[in-house]
Amino acid sequence: MRPDTHDTAARNSGAQASAALEVAVLVSVGRHPVTGRARRADQDARGVELALALSEARVTLLHAGSLDEESESAMRGYLGMGLPALTLVEQPPGADVVPALADTLSDAQPQLVIAGERAEQGEGSGMLPYLLAERLGWPLVSGLAAVEKVENGVATLLQALPRGQRRRLQVRLPAIVSVDAAAAAARQSAFGPARRGEIEVQPAAVEWDEAQAEWSVAPARKRPKRLKIVKAASARDRFKAAAAKAEGAGGQVLTDVTPEQGAEAILKLLKEEGVLR
Amino acid sequence: MLDTLLPILIFSALALAVIGAVRRVRLWRQGRPAKVALLRGLAAMPRRYLVDLHHVVARDKVMSNTHVATAGGFVAAAVLMILVHGLGFANPVLGGLLLAASALMFVGSLFVARRRRNPPARLSKGPWMRLPKSLMAFSLSVFLITLPTVGILPDGTGSVILALALSAVLVWGLGEMFFGMTWGGPMKHAFAGALHLAFHRRPERFGEGNRSTGLKALNLEDTKAPLGVETPSDFTWNQLLGFDACVQCGRCEAVCPAFAAGQPLNPKKLIQDMVVGMAGGSDAAYAGSPYPGKPVGEHAGSPHGPIVAREGKALVDAETLWSCTTCRACVEECPMMIEHVDAIVDMRRFLTLEHGNTPNKGAEVLDNLIATDNPGGFDPGSRMHWAADLNLPLMRDLGQVDVLLWLGDGVFDMRNQRTLRALVKVLRAAGVDFAVLGNEERDSGDVARRLGDEATFQSLAKRNIATLSQYRFQRIVTCDPHSFHVLGNEYGELGGHYAVSHHSTYIAELYEAGRLHFAPWKGGSVTYHDPCYLGRYNGEYEAPRNVLKALGIDVAEMQRSGFRSRCCGGGGGAPITDIPGKQRIPDMRMNDVKETGAELVAVGCPQCTAMLEGVVDATAEVRDIAELVADALVERPASSGSTRAPQPAAEEVTP
Repeated sequence: MRPDTHDTAARNSGAQASAALEVAVLVSVGRHPVTGRARRADQDARGVELALALSEARVTLLHAGSLDEESESAMRGYLGMGLPALTLVEQPPGADVVPALADTLSDAQPQLVIAGERAEQGEGSGMLPYLLAERLGWPLVSGLAAVEKVENGVATLLQALPRGQRRRLQVRLPAIVSVDAAAAAARQSAFGPARRGEIEVQPAAVEWDEAQAEWSVAPARKRPKRLKIVKAASARDRFKAAAAKAEGAGGQVLTDVTPEQGAEAILKLLKEEGVLR
Repeated sequence: MLDTLLPILIFSALALAVIGAVRRVRLWRQGRPAKVALLRGLAAMPRRYLVDLHHVVARDKVMSNTHVATAGGFVAAAVLMILVHGLGFANPVLGGLLLAASALMFVGSLFVARRRRNPPARLSKGPWMRLPKSLMAFSLSVFLITLPTVGILPDGTGSVILALALSAVLVWGLGEMFFGMTWGGPMKHAFAGALHLAFHRRPERFGEGNRSTGLKALNLEDTKAPLGVETPSDFTWNQLLGFDACVQCGRCEAVCPAFAAGQPLNPKKLIQDMVVGMAGGSDAAYAGSPYPGKPVGEHAGSPHGPIVAREGKALVDAETLWSCTTCRACVEECPMMIEHVDAIVDMRRFLTLEHGNTPNKGAEVLDNLIATDNPGGFDPGSRMHWAADLNLPLMRDLGQVDVLLWLGDGVFDMRNQRTLRALVKVLRAAGVDFAVLGNEERDSGDVARRLGDEATFQSLAKRNIATLSQYRFQRIVTCDPHSFHVLGNEYGELGGHYAVSHHSTYIAELYEAGRLHFAPWKGGSVTYHDPCYLGRYNGEYEAPRNVLKALGIDVAEMQRSGFRSRCCGGGGGAPITDIPGKQRIPDMRMNDVKETGAELVAVGCPQCTAMLEGVVDATAEVRDIAELVADALVERPASSGSTRAPQPAAEEVTP
């Protein structure tokens, strides 16, 4: 993965990879923020939209979980975007879905795996794409805005950064990418294709999530927010302050350093921030 | 010579007409099957034609008389001509009647010709411009060849050349009247129109005071049944027949609010496009007003090809279908009883349920309806927040009341909350035993259905019906005509049968019963805007006017009021799909208000209130009838003794 500094010639060459691109989208059962009803998860649906927008891609949908009324309505929500089938990797509640998904993916060998940044219910830790990438040994790009092209096994991606900035990246496939609200909004889910779409249940080995049993789960409380004190003098500053995402003031950019130096710097930062002790 | 020539001409024209009829019937039969009582329909047809159809035609007296003379003269002349000249019953009595019939028809065709001299924009030109000449050719030539039969002229008058010339004119007339009737000329409207009346999709709409306005449900249980209409052949055969009956008079075009606003819809063109699709081909031959902003000749279709393409052009563009406000003005005006709104919603159903392509905010609204049971995406638990201080009795607590007050989604709208508070005040002043569903109420499904999402409509409707079935009440009262229409006319097919009243109807009854007393009106002049879903959909034109009269208001009627009321632009999901035009529909309506000089426009619908209040620089204030009534309320005369508790709910609560 390296930032792509030179640009337009490559973009204009335009042609997609000749062979069909195998894309797997990981979809979860979402939860409506107001009523808590099961639905297609917003970020995952954006992931499906991203996949459908790729020309010559063969898209498969993958959901790890169990089949019940709620999950079916959510899965049909994804099917309604115009896909003929969805693969359900059967996993009971309380199972760790990472091994099952990793097995399925390494069997299916898709070139690109798309996932939402974070599930709308359950743990919602946002760790799943990272754990999968670690287990499969594939590169991961987070916060994707668009896939620009795929050529010769290399994808050119546009990653979203705060304040509408974009970074162009190239990544060798297979890779996992995750999308958040920066990606294009999902298309409407239509009743007809949703009803026709098939849910192919695929049994899989179950590994229980041992750690979860030790946790205690409580309803989330609203977290206190740090007050944003705006000391702006001009309209432009006020706009910047209003539009800003949380951003560290300090930080440093390291260039031309050895991996060891880089790792040292990261370790030092993590200790400073109290993440590692 | 004519004696041998005439039977040949007449019977070959008839034979060609029969062949044409068979071809035409086969075009209609491309449509899906429909349950139609064929014989009963045919038996009812003359009455439907003479009473129901002519009731609409007679709104234009000159045209009505013209049509009676021309069509009546033609039918009589055609039958008599077959007898006299075709079969040779050449007696003076029949001949005399034939002379009279053709003379009557000739007089009628003169009036047709006069109307065609400077035709209004709504009339189609093209082949329709030759129709008066064809009518004259037929009536005049029949008249002349009949003169010898009755002995006014001796046999063999004139030369062979004259006879041949006369025959040529007759051939023209026969060609238009018989051949053209079934092969697609202007006279097609007579053949298709008669059968359309017989096999109409809504036979229940015929007869004095009857109406049939509820959309028909899709069968969602059957997974093979198509979801709406994709191709012309997906319409039922009697819908296709109905399209073919169109006489292109353009009355629909003249009343369509979307057409007037410059949005890309013209109901007449839409029906003609369906005919083009049914027969296959392009719309280039269409000779009327186009869809605003869309030149004729760029669209084409076929019976089994898509009506709306996913990309590019097909028969009709999607925005044409989404421009409709479902106000039914076109259906109300159509002398051929064509059901435009049914067809539009059928096609919208396919776009939403199969393409997943509801424009602009459509998808968001439908998602909200699915997730939160209201179009705005509000917390369904916050439905009663507006009435936190009103202590409204809940159905869940009472179980049985006289009146179930259906609040509608206006509960989330601060403007409509004022109307609702006023209505509650009125009901309490009259001592009505009422209750509300509170958080158990859901959107009625009106918007979802009109946006084509039949699945969400049926889901909402079934859950509402299940909720309502737990409670006992005499009737439902609502201040939302859309809920009124859906609850009263569309839930029946899904198993929910209720007596539903609009609040104006109920207030009028309360006043009649002496349960409400009003202070005399002190404001300025007032006009009244008929909501489409109250008036044209449910025939309630009187009650709101009676209430205003009871308030002491003398309504200054707008030119377009009653069944001709112009839509506010808020129906059919039109504000959600928001197809651009040259001007806004509510602006045009507020101009209508301005013309009356009224300072206040009374309305009876939350949609109308929102649309009309959204007009900038309006000359009139917009108030709901409930608000006007609530403002005018006075204590009942002391003698009648007010013993009724204002809030019966408090005592009747059961654990």
